[in-house]
Order: sequence, then C-alpha cells, then structure tokens
Amino acid sequence: MSDQAPLRLYQALVDQDPAAAISVIESVRASGVSQARLFDVLFVPSMGVLGGAWASGEIDEIAFTQAAVVADQVTSFVTPPAANADTGVVVLIGCMHKDHHAVGKNVAAAALKEAGHRVLDLGVDVRPAEFLEKVEETGARIVIVSAEMLSAARDAGRVRDMLTSSGHTDVVILVTGGPFDADPELARSAGANGVIRGAESALRLVARVAEDRAGREDA
Amino acid sequence: MSADRSQQVVLAEGLARQEQISPAVAACHAALRLDARQPHAHALLAELMLAGDFYDEAIAAATQAIELDPGCAPAYLALGLAYDRRGGMWDQSILVWHELAEVVPDLVTAHVQLGEAFSLAAFDEEAIDSWRRALELDPTEARAMYNLAVAALKREGVPTALPGFRKAGELDPSQDELFFDLAHIGPLPRKLPDSAKVADDRDSRLHAAGVLARADDYFGAADLVRAILDETPDDADALALAAYMYLKQEAGNEAMACAVRAVMVDKTSVTGMYALGVAYAKRPGLNRHAARVFAALAKAVPHHPMPHVLLAESMMGLQRYSQAKAAYGHAVELDPACVRARFGLAAVLLTENRHAEAAWEIRRAAYYDTKRQGLFWELYDEYVEGGE
Repeated sequence: MSDQAPLRLYQALVDQDPAAAISVIESVRASGVSQARLFDVLFVPSMGVLGGAWASGEIDEIAFTQAAVVADQVTSFVTPPAANADTGVVVLIGCMHKDHHAVGKNVAAAALKEAGHRVLDLGVDVRPAEFLEKVEETGARIVIVSAEMLSAARDAGRVRDMLTSSGHTDVVILVTGGPFDADPELARSAGANGVIRGAESALRLVARVAEDRAGREDA
Repeated sequence: MSADRSQQVVLAEGLARQEQISPAVAACHAALRLDARQPHAHALLAELMLAGDFYDEAIAAATQAIELDPGCAPAYLALGLAYDRRGGMWDQSILVWHELAEVVPDLVTAHVQLGEAFSLAAFDEEAIDSWRRALELDPTEARAMYNLAVAALKREGVPTALPGFRKAGELDPSQDELFFDLAHIGPLPRKLPDSAKVADDRDSRLHAAGVLARADDYFGAADLVRAILDETPDDADALALAAYMYLKQEAGNEAMACAVRAVMVDKTSVTGMYALGVAYAKRPGLNRHAARVFAALAKAVPHHPMPHVLLAESMMGLQRYSQAKAAYGHAVELDPACVRARFGLAAVLLTENRHAEAAWEIRRAAYYDTKRQGLFWELYDEYVEGGE
C-alpha cells in the first residue's frame, strides 16, 4: 500500500467525490490489504488528517461536514464485516416438550447465529419427533436440547432414542438448562455429548464439535 | 390530602434528612406516642426502616400510613421498595406500584418499578408496556431503557439487546459525567461563562468551553474551542472536547476525525480516548476497535468504573462474555451504585443462564437508582405541601 493512500482518501473526502474515495479504497485492497485491516491502515489515518485539517482551519466547518458525509457513504467499504462469516455448521435448537422456558435457548441461539452458524430455532415445547424430523430435513449434525424443568430434562433422553432408532447415531446432542447444571448424571442418562452452560459455553462447544467433525472429514 | 404534622414529626424529618437514623426513629416513635394517627410519621418511619434493611417493619409502617391516608404517596414508595427488596412478594409489589402510578400518574419511577415487578412475576408483556409508558413520560429515562434491553436479550439474545444497552447508556448521565471528570470540569456553576468575555488564555478558554458543553451550550463552547485551535491546531484537549460535542450532536464521523486527531497528537489523552472509543462503539463492526480503546482508557484511569463498563459492552459485542463479566464486575467493585454496570452484569449473567443472580443485580440497580433520585423526599415534600 502506498504511504500516500490515506492522503488521497482524505482529498477525495474533501473534494466530495465518493467515486474517487472508493477508487482509493479499492486500489489499497488490490495491493493486498485485507478487509479487516482497511479501516485501520487507511480510513483511520485519513480521518486523522481530516480532523487535523479542520483544526488548523485548512478546511472550514461546511467542508468538514461535507467530507464527513462522504466518509459515511464509503464507510461500508472499509469497516470490518459486522457479522461473522457463515461457518456452514447447521445447529438445531429447541426447548424440550412441555417446557416453555425459552430465555436460555434464545440467548444461546442468538450467540450461535452471531458467530456465523446456521441456527434453526424450533422454539419451545418441541417433541422428540420434531427434532428427528428437522434433523432429517436439514442434515443437521448438532442438536441442542434445552430443558429448565426437571421433568423435561429427564425426558431429554427421548431425543437420543428417537435419533438412534432412525439411524442418526452420529448426531451430537448438547443439552442446556438448570437441571443439567445441577446434576451431570442427567446429561449422561439423556445420551448427551455435552452440557452447555450459557452462551459462551455454547459457542465453545459447537466450535469444538465443528472442528472435530471437519478434522474427521479431512482425514 | 395530607394533614398538618406535629413538631415531633418535623424534628424526625430533620434528623432523617441528615441520615441520623437512630435518633430519627426515636423521634418518629415519640411523635406516634403523642398521636398515632399521623401518616407523615408512619411514612418517615417506613423510609427509616427501609434504610436499615428492616423490610417487615417498613411494610408495617408504610401500610399504616396508607391506611390513615390513601393519598400518602411517599408511603407507597416505601412500601413498594420494601416489598421489592424483601423479595418473593411480587404480587403485593405490583399492586403497590400500580397504586402509586395512580396516585401520582406522572411519576416515571412508579412505572419503571411496576415494570420490574411485572418482570419478576414473569408478566413480560405487561412489564414492557410499563417501561414504554415510563419512556413516554420521560424519553430520557435510562432505567426503563436498560430494562427494555434486558427484555430484548431474553427474547432475542445479546446482538439485538446490545444497541439498547448503549442507547440506555447514552441517556444515563454517568457516561457524560465520565467525560467531564476526565476533562476536570466540575458541576455546573450558578452562572455560566459568557464565551465573549472569557480570558484569552488557552486554559481559561478550555475550561469555559467544557463548562458550556456540560450545559449543552455547544455554540458557545464551539467558539471557544475554535479560538484555541486557531492558535494551536494540535491541542489534543480542545480536539477531544470538539469530538465530544460532535458525538452529542450525532455527528459520528466529525467526532471520529477530531478524536483520531486528538489521540494522534497525544496518545495519553484520556478525553481523546473516550471520544474515540464512543465513536467506534456507535458503528456496527467496530467492537474490536472500541474494546481496544476502552481497554487503554480503563488502564489510564483504573479507578473510574465507567471505562470498565464501556469495555464490557464492547466485549459483549465481541461475544467475549467472560471478559465482559470481569469488566462489569470490576466496575461494580469500584462503584456498587453504578446502575449501568449492574444492568450489564445482569445481562452477562443471563447469558450464563443465571437468572436469579441476574434478577438480584437488577434489583440492586433499581435500589441505587431510586436512592440516587432522592425520590422519597421529593414525594414527601410534595405531600407536606399538599397538606399546608
């Protein structure tokens, strides 16, 4: 990247020329600077020059504001992507049959979506047969079963039974909810492969499962 | 309608206002021994009991005050707070806040508290309606906005809720207070400086500009900042103040340009760091940048809770919930009354499925927020005036 690039971008902003600004950005990108670094190596220094020009009186208030408007128009070209890239990992999540406590499920689902996973939220009061149906429909290999009531947690094993009886023995089942936190034996008896303890734990476990799976496929 | 109060009650009031709890309680009892039908004395006693965490006694005294005078608003406040803090009495709590909202319809806090009571009772829709009503009455009511953000988190997770937390943070005066603390601008003086008459040295101009900015007089402040920059364009403090004022006027890029320049000129400029971090935090996709700046700010001013809160919010945006929790926890340690940190901590606890602890944090936030407002005395004084 040329040392002059931030100055050229600054000039394009002051000239109120979005096309020239985009051209500078694209030339820097073409020189090998990644999208994630464009903001730091190009946009921030040019904004510093802009601020300095305004402070020194080189440009007046109106020119400053107009340059800021152009900066706004080209921001999307330089900012790192807000959402994470699609991981391609499909995750089914739902609250166990007769359980309507959705907060933990909602929080985990949103975190996984934000991380780029393809999350299919089945909602609350999901029967084991619905988990099976969606596994077959989507090809998901990770299922998260949420249960906040002891009776629902005890029933979670029915999801594993249903999947096994239909030949889906390779599906990873992760469970989440207060009863599983309190009694790890419940998760084992439900045939779960892991217990999710909150959103961060969901991100970690799903990432690990996806990595293991990718590793096996590579091998 | 309030009845006249006795000399003993007036004495108790004076002591209570000075937070001399034991003598004030004794004075209340003395007043009630002479005349047990004084709602003022019962309401005062309830407030004093509440201050000492004697919830059952507070409930008894406040109930007595309301029985004597159903229009005794301060007693409703004490009763509702006592129910809330005692815990497990959400049904009574809902009734009391409902009553208070009827007795004083424009009392924003009554609607906020009513929403919190509804939320604890899992009446989520009713809770949201109450907080919206509070925001209709006062669009700057930060606590209602925090509660709505928590409600959004429960339904749609952190990514949807985080902008709500940040919006609430902007309404919350504590964030502006951080900037002015960093800029060494104290509380507003009675008489604001006249920008045309400020001494023409840099420090006088900068201080006066800060005071005017704090008073929302951005035109006056901008004139003074311009005068400083005309002499020294690389004055980091003036640039940071300009960035702050642009932020307040929703001019994000102008703010970023000035803040970047301020930090380029002086890497240790804490006001520059603040403005830059806030400018970054306002843009989607820049949580990592904001976190980096707020981490530097938290390191530069480690004893101020707000940089830790701002850092925590950026960590939430990066899905680093453990780090967010640590930063919020640090902020609460530094200032247990930091409402924004308490709500943030509640949000992180919800991401860990720790609902009871989250509810507790929200209750603590409510406690400190109501206490900070001095609402009891406001209602009490209005009640006294109504009777005279």
